[in-house]
Amino acid sequence: MFMTVVGALNEGFVQTLSLFAVTLLGALPLGLVVSFGSMSRFAPLRWLTRTVIWIIRGTPLMLQLYIIFFIPGMVLPSGNPWPAGTTGRFMAASVAFIINYSCYFAEIYRGGIQGVPAGQQEAGLVLGMTKSQIFFRVTLLQMVKRVVPPMSNEIITLVKDTSLAQVISIQEVIWAGKAFLKSSHGYKGLLWPLFFTGVYYLVFNGGLTLLFGWIEKKLDYFK
Amino acid sequence: MKKKLSLILAAAICLSLAACGGKGEDTSKSQNGGASSSQQTAGSDLAYVKDKGTLIVGITEFEPMDYKDADGQWIGFDADMARAFAESLGVEPEFQLIDWDSKVMELEGKTLDVVWNGMTLTDDVQAAMECSVPYFNNAQVVIVKKDVADQYQTAESIADLQFAVENGSAGQEVLDGMGIAYTAAQDQATALLEVQSGTADAAVIDYLMAAAMTGEGTSYADLTYTVSLNDEQYGVGFRKGSDLAAALNEFFKTSYADGTMQRIADTYKIGDKLIEQK
Repeated sequence: MFMTVVGALNEGFVQTLSLFAVTLLGALPLGLVVSFGSMSRFAPLRWLTRTVIWIIRGTPLMLQLYIIFFIPGMVLPSGNPWPAGTTGRFMAASVAFIINYSCYFAEIYRGGIQGVPAGQQEAGLVLGMTKSQIFFRVTLLQMVKRVVPPMSNEIITLVKDTSLAQVISIQEVIWAGKAFLKSSHGYKGLLWPLFFTGVYYLVFNGGLTLLFGWIEKKLDYFK
Repeated sequence: MKKKLSLILAAAICLSLAACGGKGEDTSKSQNGGASSSQQTAGSDLAYVKDKGTLIVGITEFEPMDYKDADGQWIGFDADMARAFAESLGVEPEFQLIDWDSKVMELEGKTLDVVWNGMTLTDDVQAAMECSVPYFNNAQVVIVKKDVADQYQTAESIADLQFAVENGSAGQEVLDGMGIAYTAAQDQATALLEVQSGTADAAVIDYLMAAAMTGEGTSYADLTYTVSLNDEQYGVGFRKGSDLAAALNEFFKTSYADGTMQRIADTYKIGDKLIEQK
């Protein structure tokens, strides 16, 4: 019985990890783009970006999942645009998570960039460097070091937030555990698989914590 | 250079926003148009399903209605009937596990075509969906711990118990009707969990589910079911205004007449609760 349950939970955890990985891949770079938008010297772009961040951070991710997955099929005359089956649900969840997390990441990046003393930029300008040279050669690495602790916070939250995707029927690990409450894989009314899913999150987040500790150490040479 | 770039970007964003706005107007127009046209050509939903060649069936794991066999195939009374119905339409059935609370949204968002999962025909359900005729008799039963079951064999005896019941379920309506207070749980399984852990004295769930989930061999071995609070019937739900409901009623008739429906129900040992289709 234990092996069957672990097998089912593993299947679910693969979904959890896929959503986690896809979100990171999308939101890490997109967040940087959004943070540039929110710091632009061109006011309309800056305000537009900040409004988007306000909306995305100001509404629940669960609501955003519902809206992104269900609303298109209700308003588009051609019907539901998401591909059929699990693929479409996973795509919708990925889109929702990437948009949501890139807004949080953008604010963390902004803090990291604006935290680099302005004197360094002025020094760069005096030396005749262009703005982009200053960003890539002076600011970027210092920003990376500064954002590691808040990013690790946000990324660990992301691991657990993936469980929200079950509202559009992504069968992630908590879904797989809850299925045993009723009946799944030939077993009926089992309680412990749901609680056992906690072990998966704990172990994975433990690994992430070690990883971030290691990265912080590696970046220690910037003072 | 930078300034130009951001100007272009901003212009692009404004344009795309304007385009979105425009589109929004268009769709609202066509939606209004669509509402009237969907009433004229009520055949649209059946045609829509036939046209795309698939019938997406929304289910949850619910033995003996929808569950997986050893090969991972969806079987059960509802799954088998859904497969036969799809075949009669000449389309492929696709089974999709759903979050039960989202079923109406799933239908309206066209991410499903039908909800076919031992669904009790309540007023709420019939208001939100186009439902088939009832095809199966069920009851809501009271779940209590085995050791106290003797005291709660009548509808009067349960009035003072602390209840847990699935939010929006038929059981909740029954308790509302009897004026009994309860805690709303996320689903029937969670309601059982409340009784098991002692955070509630009793739960109200489907007879079918009670029979499958309590007693020997489950985590709920010390729970049992006692009094039936009402009789109720299962139906199949489609999008509001869909003509698929009428098509299914016809299908039920022929399937009942040639004995197929009874045979499938007997396979899952629930034949005695089938409702005659005529």
